[in-house]
Amino acid sequence: MKTINIIVNGFSHTLDVPDNRRLLDLLREDLGLTGTKEGCGIGECGACTVIMDGQAINSCLVLAVQADGSSIMTVEGLDQDGEMSRLQKAFLEHGAVQCGFCTPGMLMSAKALLDSNPHPTEAQIREAISGNLCRCTGYKQIVDAVSAAADSAEK
Amino acid sequence: MVGKRVKRIDGEAKVRGQAKFGDDLQLPGMLHAACRFADITCGRITRLGTANAEAMPGVVSIATYKHVTGNQLIGAIRKDQYPLVNDRIYYEGDVIAVVAATTKEQAQAAAEAIDVEYEPTEGIFDIEEAVKPSARLVHPEFESNVVVHYPLRKGDVEAGFSASDHVMERTYRTGYHEHAYIEPESVTAEPDVTSGGVKVYGSIQNPFSTRGVVAGYLGLPMNRVNVHASVLGGSFGGKDDTVNAMCCRVALLAKLTGLPVKLTYKREESFRESYKRHPYILRYKVGYNNDGKLNAMNIDILADSGAYSSQTFFVNWRSVVQATGPYEIPNVHTDIRGIYTNNVYTGAYRGFGSPQIVFAQETLMDEIAAALGMDPVALRRLNGYKQGSKTASGQCLDNHEVSLLSVLDRAIEKSDYYAKRKQYADMENHRYRYGIGLAVSHRGCSLGAEGSDASTAIVSMQADGSVYVISGQNENGQGLKTSFCMIAAQELGIRLEDIVFLDPQTGTVSDGGPTVASRGTLMGGKAVQVAAAEVKSRLFPFVKDHFGVEGVDDLIWYDGLIHARGDSAKEPLKIADIARKAAFTGAHLSAYGWYRMPDAEWHHHTGQGKAYNTYVYGCQVAEVRIEKSTGKLEVVKITAVHDAGKIINRTGAEGQIYGGVAQGMGYGMMEDYNVQRGVLKSQNLDEYLIPTAMDVPPIDAEFIENPDDFGPFGAKSLGEPTLELTAAAVNNAYAHASGKPSESIPINLEKVLIGKPLHKPHRSSESGVAIKKLRLGEMTVVRPGSIEEALRLNPEGESRYLAGGTDLLVQLRNTGAPAQLIDLSRIEELHTIQEMDGGYRIGGGVTFSELLAHKEMMRRCPVLREAISRIGARQIRNRATIAGNLVNAAPCADSAPPLILYNAVIRIASRSGTREIPASDFILHAYKTALRPGEIFASIDLPAGDPSESWGYYQLGRRNAMNITRMSVSVAAKMSPDGVIENCRIVQGSLLSKPGRLTEVEQAMLGQKAANGLSPAARETLDAILDREIGGRWSSEYKIPAFVGILDDAVRELDQKGAKE
Repeated sequence: MKTINIIVNGFSHTLDVPDNRRLLDLLREDLGLTGTKEGCGIGECGACTVIMDGQAINSCLVLAVQADGSSIMTVEGLDQDGEMSRLQKAFLEHGAVQCGFCTPGMLMSAKALLDSNPHPTEAQIREAISGNLCRCTGYKQIVDAVSAAADSAEK
Repeated sequence: MVGKRVKRIDGEAKVRGQAKFGDDLQLPGMLHAACRFADITCGRITRLGTANAEAMPGVVSIATYKHVTGNQLIGAIRKDQYPLVNDRIYYEGDVIAVVAATTKEQAQAAAEAIDVEYEPTEGIFDIEEAVKPSARLVHPEFESNVVVHYPLRKGDVEAGFSASDHVMERTYRTGYHEHAYIEPESVTAEPDVTSGGVKVYGSIQNPFSTRGVVAGYLGLPMNRVNVHASVLGGSFGGKDDTVNAMCCRVALLAKLTGLPVKLTYKREESFRESYKRHPYILRYKVGYNNDGKLNAMNIDILADSGAYSSQTFFVNWRSVVQATGPYEIPNVHTDIRGIYTNNVYTGAYRGFGSPQIVFAQETLMDEIAAALGMDPVALRRLNGYKQGSKTASGQCLDNHEVSLLSVLDRAIEKSDYYAKRKQYADMENHRYRYGIGLAVSHRGCSLGAEGSDASTAIVSMQADGSVYVISGQNENGQGLKTSFCMIAAQELGIRLEDIVFLDPQTGTVSDGGPTVASRGTLMGGKAVQVAAAEVKSRLFPFVKDHFGVEGVDDLIWYDGLIHARGDSAKEPLKIADIARKAAFTGAHLSAYGWYRMPDAEWHHHTGQGKAYNTYVYGCQVAEVRIEKSTGKLEVVKITAVHDAGKIINRTGAEGQIYGGVAQGMGYGMMEDYNVQRGVLKSQNLDEYLIPTAMDVPPIDAEFIENPDDFGPFGAKSLGEPTLELTAAAVNNAYAHASGKPSESIPINLEKVLIGKPLHKPHRSSESGVAIKKLRLGEMTVVRPGSIEEALRLNPEGESRYLAGGTDLLVQLRNTGAPAQLIDLSRIEELHTIQEMDGGYRIGGGVTFSELLAHKEMMRRCPVLREAISRIGARQIRNRATIAGNLVNAAPCADSAPPLILYNAVIRIASRSGTREIPASDFILHAYKTALRPGEIFASIDLPAGDPSESWGYYQLGRRNAMNITRMSVSVAAKMSPDGVIENCRIVQGSLLSKPGRLTEVEQAMLGQKAANGLSPAARETLDAILDREIGGRWSSEYKIPAFVGILDDAVRELDQKGAKE
């Protein structure tokens, strides 16, 4: 058991966690942030993607103790003053959501991309979400949505 | 409203992370369940002891078949499946017992501790063996391994063959196909003290089916089981029988414990138990004339049903109806048999018996065209269904627009098929071949003669004019709720915002039938329309006098207002005002919509009858590229034209096409569910590959809308036809490119290059099933701040160093073994990149993303850049470190070959100081390095590449991201101005037992012109090395020619990279 300090979506938490607890379980079970999903448990599907210190990571492959001192953003932290972010709105507008299970991870990968590259090409968008599997959409409308969110940022 | 682009009404909760999926449910006092799966594929249980497991910490209850209070057997059509087996094991996914404990980990540990002894029997895994009359019976209680046999007889095929100019015979094979919904199954049950029964929640595709199954299993009346489906994370037909079995187990545990119990599957458990798409063997014999006219077709199909019958009855029936394809053939003789084996069972999967037959029969059409030297499109035009055509079952297609040729013509035009057919034939170059091909299909809508077909809905208007919609059909993620609300809004003439969709429980609304057979919009939507129309008719008496009209149809209901049709001086009325008025008079503004399709008919012994009330038609065109050296087939573009009747939500409908095409493409090219003698070898998404965002090509989608009489506003079916065509279109494009179609799918690397699939042979010593723990064991993690401190903490090397964790944590999850870990992430000096004389010193803890961000180093070491930019995807590269990649020492470690190429040196820290070792000597053999116990990979000295050198890199994977590298080649060469190799280094990766230089080949290339590729001498040398090193391996049949090919390509293209860049 270790005590860790972690900032999640802007809120600080001090938590006692077993050494073998995954960041994913800490988010879902200890903090009740069930927006982050588990699809494979081995870093293959990206459903558990969150942003850790600015970078998209698979929260199933990070121990909670390794996140000590980190700042984490999950899908629940994407809105701005209660309003959906541009990216979230673009997902809805473009039909990028079907079943929605990959959506939180997909949004976090897209957010990490746009934060570091506000004007990605289609190829860069596809590359950035290539670690997030989606079985419903064939990805096209997701790529369209990320692209539109990037464009609307310009205006 | 209808036909527009509409945002899905349940979308906001999904993008905010607030939608509650099965595993997101938490109930007070909830227990967690875990299943004990079979350890063998076939045999008998001789001993089952739960006492030890029951005594373990946290265990509350363990259920076996002995606890079942109702009917122990379940099954959609024939009851032959035990959610908890008795003494027989039918397949590897069988569950023997289920544990409820306080935590998931305790439940899993106890499930493993259950004592089971077996008497294994040799299973039957081959359908051609299982169908023989002498075969041992998989289910001795049935008289045959044949689950079902459907014959179809039309005309006289023998006479048809005799009268034909040509007869062609072909056999096609299709493999398993796993749904791979991203959400693994999760279900929860709790005792319902009010009813004395249970409530069930979770990832449930068909809540009413689940209710019936659970009620039967517990011996409860249906009204004491209330099922409430959670938001469903993808299903595609997959969350039916397996989920029903899971619901039976948790419902039983909830009854036994009196507490809520949740069972959430890990991906491996999902793959293990859940049913797949049926593998088919399809034998076609076709008689045709010189002009292309089809005279006779004999079709004999065997389908692997696996351990249970599940939906085989209906899946195989759809196949028999559609097996000739959309072609008018006077003489047809079809037999399809679904066969029990001890393989994983098979059931419903989007397409439902059509993707297999469309693949076979549309491949066959192109083979006939090729044999006749005829345009494949003209062959389809000649034989394809037209208005009034008669199907193989004798049904006359005259009650709807038969749009086969319209979708075909439009797809040809849209894809520029003829121009590309010519252009691609001429485009072949040293590296690639190109091709374009198409496929068409017809598909019966909804259930047809499977059974009676009805659906239900409630539309309830409130006193302020706002409306609830409730459906007896479940949203599976495709957008049904949105379509239903659009249909209600259109019919009532109100705004979408004025409608709320209420998620029902099975007790709220009557059974609307399952969300299957592309019937959601058609059947459920029509029920909504019927209910909405009824509400309108109840409002009508309150507006009748105002407008002075006789019937509802004399009015226009639009945008919240009611107008008189035509010229009228009458003021429009607000629907909300009328609702208020009506409500105050006690009018009933809530209506039940019930819609029943006219009965279809089927004569079992002849296979004749009106199979479905109506049909949809589609055409897809695929454009592909084949890499000659490796056999890698890539789709460049798909054009998809579908007649789905009237489109309700255009955004959602397009999403159905894109998603269906992506799944169909995966089915045709990539998805290889590997079952060897009943043992499931593809356990997770690293072994069963589905397309990533980098694999799905541009998809050009278009609808042709021919409304017909049955669905709401003329809507028909769309979900399944989008999937069923793609594999066939890809194969025909492949045949155009390569000159010959594939007779089986998936058309993967091995299929293309050596003409057959290749799997690691199953050893008889592996009769047992490899069990992974799927959870991290007890662990201590320390986080030192310096290398010295880390070394001090690990004097004997008893601890393992944790860097990015992307490999280590996966390994520890597999074994569940206790571990002492030393996390190196806080050691500053491991994270630095220092510039040194002529190169760089890279700390072992530097991630691949950090390396890629170092633009100058990447420019100077381009082969390293190329290699590491393809590792995993962003999430992996953001965590995985260069030291971790090398220390793991997998033969496929992508950073190793370029580091060897650039003569990098690894610096290793130990308590006695630092030692250096060349990168080429670091990996000793697979999974073994030169590190001694306790030593730390401190840094790596990377000399910058020589800018005057040309370079080449090639990495082969089965897809374009998230790969395990099959093989790679790294080349650096000094070239004379006229392209002669003066000096070169060649490093292979993922080919031999460890990555390394191929120095003999390098020698043989000196003085050769790079543009000519591998010289004969170099090729001979390489062949000898490969034969010596890996010639005896099962994979060498593919790997040897492919490696020779990629090295040849890399050498040829040397001129184009490096020095001249």
